[in-house]
Amino acid sequence: MQMTIRRWIFLPVFMAALSLFAQDVPVVEETLTNGMRILFVERHDEPAIAGGWVAHVGSSNEKTGSTGIAHLFEHMMFKGTTTIGTTDYAKDQEILDQQEKVRDEMRAEEAKMRVMLRHGEIDDLLKPENWTPHYKELQKQFQQLVDEERKVLAKNEFDRIYRSAGATGMNAWTSPDMTVYFESVPANKLELWCWMESERIYHSVRREFYSERDVVFEERRMRTDSPPTGLLEEAFNAMFWESMPYSWPTLGWPSDIPAISKKQADQFFATYYSPQNITLVIVGDFVPAQADAMVKKYFERIPRGTNAIPDVNTLEMKQPGEKRLNGEADTNPQVDIYWHTVPFGHKDSYALEILSQILSTRTGRLYKNLVLGSGVASDAFARQDSLKWAGDFNAGGEASDGHTPGEVEQGVYNEIDKLKNEDIPPEELQKVKNNFAADQYRRLDSNMSILMNLLVNDGDGDWHEINNFGPKIQAVTAADVRRVANEYFPKENRAVATFTRKTSAAPAKDKEAQ
Amino acid sequence: MKFLRSIFVATLTGMVSLAVVRAADAIPDRPEKIAFPPFKYEPPKPEDYRVQLKSGPVAYVIPDRQLPLVNVTIYVRVGQYLEPAGKEGLAELTGWLLRHGGAGTNTAEQLEERVAFLGAELDASIGETEGTVSLNLLSKDTDEGLGILHDVLFEPRFQADKIALRKLQILQDMEQRNDDSSGIEGREADFLAYGENFWANHYSTSNSITSINATDSAQFHHQWFAPSNFVIAVSGDFDRDTMVAKLEQLFSQHTGPVTSWHDFPQTTPPPIPTNTVFAAPGVYLVNKPDVDQGRVSFILPGILRYNPDYYAVILMNDILGGGGFTSHIMSRVRSDEGLAYDAHSSFPGGTYYPLTFTAGFQSKSRTVSYAASIVKEEIVKMTTNVVKDTELNDAKRAFINRFPQTFATKSATANIFAHDEFMGRYARDPHFWAELRSRIEAVTTDDALRVAKKYLVPDKLVILVVGNKDDILLGYPNHPVKLSNLGNITELPLRDPMTMQPMK
Repeated sequence: MQMTIRRWIFLPVFMAALSLFAQDVPVVEETLTNGMRILFVERHDEPAIAGGWVAHVGSSNEKTGSTGIAHLFEHMMFKGTTTIGTTDYAKDQEILDQQEKVRDEMRAEEAKMRVMLRHGEIDDLLKPENWTPHYKELQKQFQQLVDEERKVLAKNEFDRIYRSAGATGMNAWTSPDMTVYFESVPANKLELWCWMESERIYHSVRREFYSERDVVFEERRMRTDSPPTGLLEEAFNAMFWESMPYSWPTLGWPSDIPAISKKQADQFFATYYSPQNITLVIVGDFVPAQADAMVKKYFERIPRGTNAIPDVNTLEMKQPGEKRLNGEADTNPQVDIYWHTVPFGHKDSYALEILSQILSTRTGRLYKNLVLGSGVASDAFARQDSLKWAGDFNAGGEASDGHTPGEVEQGVYNEIDKLKNEDIPPEELQKVKNNFAADQYRRLDSNMSILMNLLVNDGDGDWHEINNFGPKIQAVTAADVRRVANEYFPKENRAVATFTRKTSAAPAKDKEAQ
Repeated sequence: MKFLRSIFVATLTGMVSLAVVRAADAIPDRPEKIAFPPFKYEPPKPEDYRVQLKSGPVAYVIPDRQLPLVNVTIYVRVGQYLEPAGKEGLAELTGWLLRHGGAGTNTAEQLEERVAFLGAELDASIGETEGTVSLNLLSKDTDEGLGILHDVLFEPRFQADKIALRKLQILQDMEQRNDDSSGIEGREADFLAYGENFWANHYSTSNSITSINATDSAQFHHQWFAPSNFVIAVSGDFDRDTMVAKLEQLFSQHTGPVTSWHDFPQTTPPPIPTNTVFAAPGVYLVNKPDVDQGRVSFILPGILRYNPDYYAVILMNDILGGGGFTSHIMSRVRSDEGLAYDAHSSFPGGTYYPLTFTAGFQSKSRTVSYAASIVKEEIVKMTTNVVKDTELNDAKRAFINRFPQTFATKSATANIFAHDEFMGRYARDPHFWAELRSRIEAVTTDDALRVAKKYLVPDKLVILVVGNKDDILLGYPNHPVKLSNLGNITELPLRDPMTMQPMK
């Protein structure tokens, strides 16, 4: 091929090794008298302010019987306050109290129906045909109170106020370890943000609780029940985590969601949404002195919570033997492998991050050797997941046509064995480090990206990680990677799921007229 | 307690007095009582960044020194609509091969390794009506990065083993076409909205993918990847004039024919065909018995974004179902009734052909009919009841107040302007961004009603339902609504995932 230009050539890679470190995020931290912490990052690249907060609570703080409450609670935080969401707060409260009385009776009836279920008299608590006449009557009573409440509701007013003020990206999410709320507002609306967020923490009202509970159940149907492998993945997760409260889904068990009461939600709020369990983060175009005064004015008035915030003290049991799950679904054959590793901030987490990148990506070893090399897989992945209280390493892939999940599984083990026995070559280690270094810059390209990084790091245990992670990654040596490969990947420390296509649902192949 | 306030020290005195003054103000009981500082915003002007390169393409060049990164995107006039019959899937495969099939003097493996070593992000893809090649990398590597772009754009190698690999991956993905009900819903909705024979509904099959070879990709690439078919967006850590000179060099050194397939002439692509066919009104049902949640789409014929009604349509749809929680559909289906997590509508306006109005939700099988009856009711209401002044005003304020976020980053600005140039909006409506807020402001409640009557014609409604047929038809005892109340039901068979032909 004729070449008219050639402005670059490939240098031997180890000659071009980068040794760059991303700039630090200039964070100013402050603690209010009520224990609430605030992180400020001044940044004038956008005429906007991204604001958010993390409540240090997630599904790992739940108890069986009310799993899913942390996430349901997140939904309730959009339902308004004493002055937002209603035209008549006193009347609204009165109706809410009446609703709870009916719900108490319904819960008693639900207990009876659970007896019927245990005795085999009915097959499903959610099926309308199985409900007792009394339960249906109570439902009607409740519906009448809902209709009455609607007369004094200002529907979705919290959203309307933010939206018409020009807020974008208003949302929230819940994980096993944290609940995060965030939005971006125009630069002149910091006071609106302070008003809205302090009010929904200080004066929140959990109206429309039971219809929102149904919404959450639909969310579960959408995310877990409907995707072909959703229920198998949920079962596999529950099998992998033995003693840790990571074993149940953040969305909650389907029997628990419809059993969560408003009273439980109120108690949950009183414990976990106290100021000393919340960190605010504000990133963007503000004047520091003014922002500081404004945040104090709005948030310092919220009294410190009186309940002690329980720590998750359960430790994951050391796994005594390999666990396996074989499932069939409408899906191509694949394997998913988990090993117990280490949580956020653990000294070995950085070497495990490097190890995961050595294996994954298009120039990683799994792709090179399993997809391009032996061809047993059509795709493969690996990742270290350092959660707050524990961590895991996850690898797997989809089997190519004519190959089995077992071959992919063996291929992954072969690659990990190589990492146990041989140091990674310097240029391969440097390549992975260069990608981490470039990503340290990319995450700084918007207010929202900086906000999310700070919220997640604080939720995991320490926001300083936003600046410490990069140098710690750069300090990892080939010997470190080899050591963690030997430490965390014995057979008895892993759980393996293989999924194969349901025979009845096999796609019609080779039918097409050739 | 920890006080780390180094940045605040300089203004400490001012802060304390300010804090005292402010703390004395009572916190109002409603946010409307807060007085906000004035906020003026004018969007950036395309003319300030637009460069007509002597080498052919137009570029939007925006320096941005905050991070040592450079972003380049090249938009290419190419797409699925140019695929030869029998070669469905060629556009997508070719896009993938540009990135992963080797380029210039580098094999696929060498190119992958080098891009990875630089910590760069290189992407290439060809979609329905455009191709993009983009690069994000550290500014110290700019020259090397532009060299890589040159090779990817003009000298891709279409390495044989990578074509074979990608074809296998595509065929394996194809097997999963019916596994997830959302995939079935998306495809069937498009068949109903635009017709079986519309080019965008020409899906790849095992035959078409099997038939594609390196020559097909190389010809397809060569035919359309000429600088005259490019528009460029560049932002990041560089000096403007220096970058313009580098781009001139990059595109002027585009070489002539060097191999056999280069005998094909490079041309300007023909117009994008607009021969869509909308289905007969009614309910269309696809049975997917193993899921317990039904997916529903409401479809109506749509408009082009150049239609004068476009701005009224945006606001009308925002109130109906586009505006999230505050919209009528979301408010009733989700927050009143708890029937769905997602309930929405969209009315985007097409660039090349009219894109449909679509509303949709997912609900447990047995409440599908009830939720659908509410959505239909809300659509009809838009055509009979004039919206409240406050509602329209809220929709306008939301649009106008969030407008500055459109141009939040330099990279977004460069890409928006380049894409406008690419789609022809800049030529047709050069003051679009400057005037957008006043066009939105001018819409009245009468306009909203008028466009609802004009476009939301209930008699034309096509309703697609994918899910467990038996449970969906059974309905829910508390709500005596049947699916057949919404129109005549036509059952659609699943399609063979490898041929896309209806299965018996």
